[in-house]
Amino acid sequence: MSENENATPEADETPPAVEATAATCCGASTPDESDCSGKPRRNFVVEALAATIGAVVGIVPAVIGGLFFLDPLVRKGDQKDEPIVGGNEPGGVVKDALGFIRLTLGIDALPEDGTPVRYTVRDDIVNVWNKFPNQPIGSVWLRRIQDQVLAFNTVCPHLGCAVDHRPSEGDFYCPCHTSAFDMDGKPLNVIPPRAMDTLEAEVREGRIWLKYQEFRGATSEKVPV
Amino acid sequence: MIRSLLAWLDHRTGCNDLIHEALYEKVPGGARWRYVWGSTLVFTFVLQMITGIFLWTAYSPSAQTAWESVYYIQEVMFLGKIVRGMHHFAAQAMIVLLAIHLIQVIIDGAYKAPREINFWLGLVLLKIILGLSLTGYLLPWDQKGYYATQVSTKIMGATPVIGAQLQEVVQGGAQYNHHTLTRFFAMHAGILPGLLIGFLALHLYVFRRHGLTVHQPKKNPDTTFWPDQVLKDGVACLGVLAVVLLFAIFKGAELSPPADAAKAYAAARPEWYFLFLFRFLKFEAVEHLGLAFGAIYVPGALMGILFMMPLTAKLKAGHRFNVAFTWLVTFGIVVLTTMAFYEDANNEDHQAAIAEAERDAHRIKELASLPSMIPVEGAVSLLREDPFTRGPVLFAKYCASCHRYNGHNGRGNVLREKGDNGKPVISTPEATDLANFGSRDWMKAIIVDYRNHFAPLKNAQWYPGADDAEFNLEDSEMAGASEEYAEAFKAPENAGDLNALVEALVAMRSWKGDEGKIDAALAKRGQQILDGEPLADGSEIQSCTDCHDTIGSDFEFTGEGGGYPDLAEYGSAKWLKAFISDPGSDQFYGAKNHMPAYADKMNAKDLDLLVRYMTGDYHETHVEDYPSRITEVFGATPPPVAAEPAAE
Ligand code: FES
Repeated sequence: MSENENATPEADETPPAVEATAATCCGASTPDESDCSGKPRRNFVVEALAATIGAVVGIVPAVIGGLFFLDPLVRKGDQKDEPIVGGNEPGGVVKDALGFIRLTLGIDALPEDGTPVRYTVRDDIVNVWNKFPNQPIGSVWLRRIQDQVLAFNTVCPHLGCAVDHRPSEGDFYCPCHTSAFDMDGKPLNVIPPRAMDTLEAEVREGRIWLKYQEFRGATSEKVPV
Repeated sequence: MIRSLLAWLDHRTGCNDLIHEALYEKVPGGARWRYVWGSTLVFTFVLQMITGIFLWTAYSPSAQTAWESVYYIQEVMFLGKIVRGMHHFAAQAMIVLLAIHLIQVIIDGAYKAPREINFWLGLVLLKIILGLSLTGYLLPWDQKGYYATQVSTKIMGATPVIGAQLQEVVQGGAQYNHHTLTRFFAMHAGILPGLLIGFLALHLYVFRRHGLTVHQPKKNPDTTFWPDQVLKDGVACLGVLAVVLLFAIFKGAELSPPADAAKAYAAARPEWYFLFLFRFLKFEAVEHLGLAFGAIYVPGALMGILFMMPLTAKLKAGHRFNVAFTWLVTFGIVVLTTMAFYEDANNEDHQAAIAEAERDAHRIKELASLPSMIPVEGAVSLLREDPFTRGPVLFAKYCASCHRYNGHNGRGNVLREKGDNGKPVISTPEATDLANFGSRDWMKAIIVDYRNHFAPLKNAQWYPGADDAEFNLEDSEMAGASEEYAEAFKAPENAGDLNALVEALVAMRSWKGDEGKIDAALAKRGQQILDGEPLADGSEIQSCTDCHDTIGSDFEFTGEGGGYPDLAEYGSAKWLKAFISDPGSDQFYGAKNHMPAYADKMNAKDLDLLVRYMTGDYHETHVEDYPSRITEVFGATPPPVAAEPAAE
């Protein structure tokens, strides 16, 4: 083999065509027809087979890897996002199948005259393999209306500041751009694009259950995010 | 259209010539299967790149997230088991292919002039690949990888002069920490693959320059790389891929329990391809000469001879020496590896350690898949807080010097001591087997078979006590009562009454294994017997409450008693905890006691875990417990108490 390698000039890669032609017995442009072995047609089957197998060994791992990467789409709707039913977790939050969270306070804790009470809602937050039990996820205004509870998300429908309650004025008021709402959440001026966002709340055996949601800001429609 | 596009591209890049050169490399003597090994190595490396990059998208290198992310990849993510399995087994395939490639190069003389440089480039690639294996082994941060890599970094630390500094730099500190993982990961996924690509390019370039080392040039007409040799290479790569996939699907990459610096891993072994070195280091003579000798100088010398081969070949009979040397080393590696496997398979302690690791590995997967998921402190905290995992370890540490658990020490080991002829014999238990403490069978045995149940006490040093106050099974009051009970319950009519009595006693305490399984009607009948009603055949027996007068009330640990052990809520966690804390208290055995008080010997948390283990108070498990060794240890007729799993 040493003669072959002496024949290869010690050159850089720029004009490789010459070497290639010199190094192989086949013509550079038409290898099929002028195969040095003198069996031109046999090559087609071999070529097709070689190309197919070459493609397979490349594609199989790439496809498997690609599907693995699409995991978030493939497993969508899997158990991972489903709310946990029941309250058997130490330190965790009690939540029902519909996503209602049991609040730590009962309806008795709300003033009978309907004065709003600010409440921080907590939930268990899942982060891939970790679970952080009992984390604050947002806050709400709770008002007692007889034996029912009226709940507003404190996020302002305008641009997302926190809406305050002004006992002196008897309204809800957002300090950022002066949006004001009455005690039922209806806008009192033209700044907010819609009423305050009510949340589904139920009273079960004296305890308040709340479905906490957030909504898109600055739209007249109430669109959950 | 496509043709003109390609022409355009070629005009600007010259790619046609490159492709042409790559494909129409001359293969003198025709395509051969023996030329495929290099190509399969390149393919395997590409496979590692593909699977590795995808694993990278889900891997998180830190001490609290590495194991957790790998667990998530393996157990939860779509195809994660396959992707990790492919990466794991392709890495091993690479080592095998590398060995074949190297041996073939040597026996074919392909390392000789003018290919010296390429041979050396190949040796550099070998080193890089070994480095990739070594760094990759640690990344899952499981017990196996953690403790095996500890050995490697310790070897690094044994390097003369700069050892300590080298080790600290590689580890990112004096001990393993977050930075050990980030550093190993950067090496594994960045630096080493980068070097590998560079050296591989050089290797291929030089290879092309010299062409194949032709085995029998005149055997067949010459051909070109494409398509004949490509087809053979492709088939070989397909074979490698198939084997890797089969292993990934049917065997799967192992994930041992999360790394725990506080829990030594007795089953630690390097990957199988490093086992020969591990075994070599275990020779006493080698151990005497120090770690640096066995792990650095000897392998260094072998590598040196390998490195010198192209020069040696110039000497007379040099090539023959090289070939002989290669076979000799290969033979040595095979022998040492076989020895290591054989010895491990016959080493009971090692097998027990493996059994424990597998038990923990299954258990942690159960715990991690609970709705509470993995806490931020990492999965290892789940095992540390788990009675089913910690209980056996604590039992072995604190109880197994006298008691046994299904015949073993709690962790699956049969305890042995030196026998009269110097050979190890099974050590005799000096107290009762506690595997089914508190169960119905246990209660039954105490009532009707007391003397036998506590018979192992006779093996104890203190038995029989010289002091009258001490305990002696022959004149124990309860042993006598038990004989009477056995007699009374022997009548066929009374068969149900013993069960009823036990049911009533079990119903009085909370014991997780029993919850919800109490037969209320049976317990009611048992209560009647406790209240003094005659048995079914009309015979009268002494009620348990005649002496143990607190039965039926809530247990409270006061340390005071009236000469009979307090059996309120007997077998409950509350009772057991108090008993283990101070069995010699007047509330329990008083002066008759011979068991040490553990109140000061165990911390509260360990005591709690042990008691919860023994009373079956832990998350339900499907993990198989250690096999029973009762008959081996207690003889062919085991104690009358049939083994019953602590919790079902
Ligand atoms: S955000 Fe509340 S008024 Fe603008």
